[in-house]
Amino acid sequence: MLFRASKKWLSDYVQIEKSDQELSDILSLSGTLVENIENPLSNIIVGKILEINKHPNADKLRVIKVSDGKNNIPVVCGAPNIKVGQLVPLAIIGAKINGKSVAEVDIRGIRSTGMLCSEAELGVGMDANGVKILSNDFEVGKQLNEYFNSDTLFDIDITPNRGDCLCHLGIAREISVLLTKNIKKEPISLNSSGNISDFFMLKVSDSNSCPVYYAKILKGVKVGKSPGWLEKRLTDCGITPINNVVDATNYIMLDLGQPMHAYDATKIYNNKIIIRKSKNNEEFTTLDGSLLRLNSGHLIITDNKKVLALAGVVGGIDSSVDEKTSDVILEAAFFDSKSIRKTMKELEIKTDASLRFERGIDPNITEYAINKAASLIQKNAGGTILSGILQHRVEISPIQIKIEKNKINNLLETSLTSDEIKQTLKRLGFGINGDFAIVPSWRSDCSIWQDLAEEIFRVNPENFQKRRSIVQTERSQKSDYFTKELLKDLLVDTGYCEVNNYSFISDNDVKIFNLDAKNLIELENPIQPEYKYMRNSLLPALIKTVAKNPSFDPVLIFEIGRIFIKDKEISQLMVVASGKGADEAILEASEVIKGNFSENFEIHKLSSIELKKYKIRKPELFYFSLDLDEINKSVKINLEVSKLKNFNSDQQYKPVSKYPSVCRDLAFVCNKNTDSNKISTEIRDSFDKVIIAELFDQFTSDKIGKDKKNLAYHIYLQAKDKTLKDSEADQLIDEIIKLVKRKFKAVLRK
Amino acid sequence: MKTKGSLHPITQILRKTITFFEKLGFDVYEGAEIDSEKYNFDLLNVPSDHPSRDLQDTFWLKDGRLLRTQTSNSQVRYGEKHKPPIKVVIPGVCYRNEATDSGHETTFMQLEGLYIDRNVTVGNLFWILEKFYKHIYGDNVKIRFRSHYFPYTEPSIEFEMMFMDKWFELGGAGMVHPKVIKNMGIDPDKYSGFAFGPGIERPIMVKYDIEDIRLFRSGDLRFLKQF
Repeated sequence: MLFRASKKWLSDYVQIEKSDQELSDILSLSGTLVENIENPLSNIIVGKILEINKHPNADKLRVIKVSDGKNNIPVVCGAPNIKVGQLVPLAIIGAKINGKSVAEVDIRGIRSTGMLCSEAELGVGMDANGVKILSNDFEVGKQLNEYFNSDTLFDIDITPNRGDCLCHLGIAREISVLLTKNIKKEPISLNSSGNISDFFMLKVSDSNSCPVYYAKILKGVKVGKSPGWLEKRLTDCGITPINNVVDATNYIMLDLGQPMHAYDATKIYNNKIIIRKSKNNEEFTTLDGSLLRLNSGHLIITDNKKVLALAGVVGGIDSSVDEKTSDVILEAAFFDSKSIRKTMKELEIKTDASLRFERGIDPNITEYAINKAASLIQKNAGGTILSGILQHRVEISPIQIKIEKNKINNLLETSLTSDEIKQTLKRLGFGINGDFAIVPSWRSDCSIWQDLAEEIFRVNPENFQKRRSIVQTERSQKSDYFTKELLKDLLVDTGYCEVNNYSFISDNDVKIFNLDAKNLIELENPIQPEYKYMRNSLLPALIKTVAKNPSFDPVLIFEIGRIFIKDKEISQLMVVASGKGADEAILEASEVIKGNFSENFEIHKLSSIELKKYKIRKPELFYFSLDLDEINKSVKINLEVSKLKNFNSDQQYKPVSKYPSVCRDLAFVCNKNTDSNKISTEIRDSFDKVIIAELFDQFTSDKIGKDKKNLAYHIYLQAKDKTLKDSEADQLIDEIIKLVKRKFKAVLRK
Repeated sequence: MKTKGSLHPITQILRKTITFFEKLGFDVYEGAEIDSEKYNFDLLNVPSDHPSRDLQDTFWLKDGRLLRTQTSNSQVRYGEKHKPPIKVVIPGVCYRNEATDSGHETTFMQLEGLYIDRNVTVGNLFWILEKFYKHIYGDNVKIRFRSHYFPYTEPSIEFEMMFMDKWFELGGAGMVHPKVIKNMGIDPDKYSGFAFGPGIERPIMVKYDIEDIRLFRSGDLRFLKQF
């Protein structure tokens, strides 16, 4: 789950003296993966103009030499307003201006490795005419974001075990451990009066699903817009501001990881909040207006007249805060993650709140969070905070883990002392009680000594440098894998291409290939509705492969893959030959198999009438198949792995066009010792549109001359953006002929 | 004569991979593609009531079984039939129910490595991964390890390779979670182990600059004959 953190917000809690990139690297290595850094001013520094010269090849451009404090950077620039000695914003390589990366470029023959920016390009003003000139208070070489009020946003991928990191406090805690800094968390003091229990009462009837529940009341608030700074923080982190009450609850969630909810107190019947499991057919209208009819067993907040909220998942419209609300009930609770997950799955609702509860929040932050929220609302919306708090709390005893020093050291190959281990654990927030580590309330993912080992491991990059070889032994068992690989090599040597198709087949396949759907294994949730069966043969897909490759003639292909029959899964080999010389080719393949593996199969043939059904315009198609599991049972092949082919294809790959290719055949007579591979490589390398040039025939004969040989090639031509016309193909072929004639002293054979 | 045949690029890289591990004494085991929830998830410490289950979108069958989302489904199946030292690589096709595009596929190849013995350490894991990628990409390859989370390993890591000035993710690994070792019927107090799963298709795509992962299963001979 992605969490977007603001650097300034993190700095509320911890001092960060690292560049954005350094911070990202440190976090990422320790398991908090930063996927993206966003800062409008990163890689823009204060530069000083040293020289301005004319551009030799352009009247309107000038060549500027700018100092970044250490080096001189050449910049080609068209701005009219610059003078030698001025300080200017210099975007260096890696900076992003208006979404485009600054890179080294050649501007009419002059190298430019930076860019001078206007106010508009920096995003700090409207002026787009000319470079922004900086005052002398700026220091050459410094990052510009130290002067302008720009924040950095980090997109962080939080793994499902670390719900505690789905907030700024959590990420700040990680940073504090990694940079050995302290966390500063301000105490909250509330200005309150009256007494909450005079107004409202709370009843929790399911302590398992709701171990902790706090509520506070504010009276006489004025609902309106939140202050700009708060709206900006929410917007930056992906949450749309609504009003100064709801915004405060969302702010606290992003701040402390505590999801909250605010109710309009006057909309709650009989001043009573009840937390219980839903009964069958209870109705509930969510904040976005959808009406749900609940089954029994979902944890709900209710006043016993209506459902106020699906606990921890979504609030209801009937008790929501609107512009007329004056009395607000704030809720901060710790709901059981499994109960929340069940509701999310069954009702298919995911919210920022429910995803956090599902991953587990800190049950000990609840009271702090509700007080911070109340104080924030009072600051932004006025009103009186009632003294006291409605609370329900089952004490959750902390997990204790025995610190297995020796086992930890063994696993990590470290030689840490007991004290060193304890020190690291303390930095991570663990308590220490003799030989036991007390897991902090926000780390419910830790329960065994291996979890402690991982904590110690991940916060110290030195631990990633350990290397220890493992003992080389002999493989102990025979494996079917090698038999299959040998089969593949033999078939490739016979001219066949290996294909891997999908395991899914469609309704249409069932119809065309006349399969018995009753015997097929069916998917519950196919990726496309029609591809709902598992294949029971490799043949249908291979026939389609023949149809998909009309420009190849013959098509000689095979596949080795699993087929699925009721409760059996079989490795099948299917060999297919179609087109010119297919009858000989299939015999050749079958001889290879017979010689080495099995006699026990038959060659089948599809007629041209059948082939038309599959849209294949080739006269015939032959195939045979083998059950490889059977073969492996009977055939004992003494196979040395080193006998398998080792491929090292360094041929440059050419992208395959969406448009069909055309195939032309060319035959050349050339000197007997000409290397046929050199000709095909030359053709392919010299012409962009040649995707394959392959030899299909070579012979010598007295007819073509002594010391001569005949080489024949299939040339496959394609264009990226269209189907090639005949005339275009002809022209290319002419050029290829000319090239081969010239380079290889060859003669075209008609 | 006929034109030359071709071996599928996935077969080629897999073979190079498996020969490396075979030389170190790893067996090759090919598990089932259709498996139960128990072996694909539960026994790997991925319970259905935990959000870690949602990391892999699963194809379910009408009969309640599933298409394996990872070759790890064979870990416990193999482990419960063998005694340590266990040294095995498990290649095979896996499935994820994800919308496809040029970078995402429902059907892909994985290779699982599993080593369980007395005193297997993180140093062993790092050693073998680094040695393996040197075998594939040459001695100058730069590999780094990052801490990560998988439910079936503890500690867990991801490994990356420096490519065109950027770290490129190659796969995940870690020390086998004691619960998983226990589920094989092996005593986690006596034995430890590592497991790893290098990606297969993505490194091929990087090496050849292949634009679309779906080409591997397109059956397009213009693609296949280039390897």
